[in-house]
Amino acid sequence: MRGMIGVALGVAATGLAASAIAGTEKVAYPENYQTEFVRYITIDRPDRKIVRWFYVNPEALARAALGEDLPDGTVLIMEDHKARLDAGEAPVVDAQGRFISTDEVTNVFVMEKQPGWGAEYPPEMRNGEWEYAWFLPDGARKADAQFDGCFACHMSRAGRDFTFTFAKYLIDTKR
Amino acid sequence: MRLAMAAALGLLVGGPALAAEHVVTMAGQQYTPSELSAQPGDTIRFVNDDDTDHAVFVPTVGFGIDLGKQEPGQETVLSLARSGVLEVECVFHPDMLLTVAVQ
Repeated sequence: MRGMIGVALGVAATGLAASAIAGTEKVAYPENYQTEFVRYITIDRPDRKIVRWFYVNPEALARAALGEDLPDGTVLIMEDHKARLDAGEAPVVDAQGRFISTDEVTNVFVMEKQPGWGAEYPPEMRNGEWEYAWFLPDGARKADAQFDGCFACHMSRAGRDFTFTFAKYLIDTKR
Repeated sequence: MRLAMAAALGLLVGGPALAAEHVVTMAGQQYTPSELSAQPGDTIRFVNDDDTDHAVFVPTVGFGIDLGKQEPGQETVLSLARSGVLEVECVFHPDMLLTVAVQ
């Protein structure tokens, strides 16, 4: 009996791990996003000395409507750039008080929404139909990436389809 | 002497406004005050006098910034460099809102 439980737990644990891997691998690296996607906001991050560029795929931007959940097929990207630093290692700001980005990209985070993608997650973790992925600048997957933090943090924005910036962008631009 | 003092006072009155620091607290998972007016060059000091972590976050286009996790007792400072209306949220608590009009 004890052996059966052990096997069952082992299967469950393996299943969870496989499920988690399968989840992020559904999200493909968005080739050519820097030229084909729309950059809609930039977020300075002083504590990490980075600038985060946010992109949305044009198809989703065209179909997104104020007050509605985002359309299936929405792809949002958060691209981290190192900020330009002064001699004292402090970020340099422009005339508007904004950090100045360098061309050095350190990480590319992607969230994508497709029908049924959230079904494998328990309710306390599920972010609707969103899935997350973490890529390096060359498009390779971050090998040791963990996504619990993504799901937990975005859960706080369940009221606007789990997005921190894009739904707010729609509100502000009254799309 | 009287003239010199008057001239000095005139310079003070007629000179550019000094940058102000506005203090916003976070107790009870709310920004207090929830609205404030400021001028370009002012700063906001966020004081986490709550018993939980917060993270000041501005998702307004042109003002976007994330000050990162702020533990109880810690303070962070947001610089207001230019005019506009920005909305300040907390990453962890979606009902924490502060509207800042910079003009």
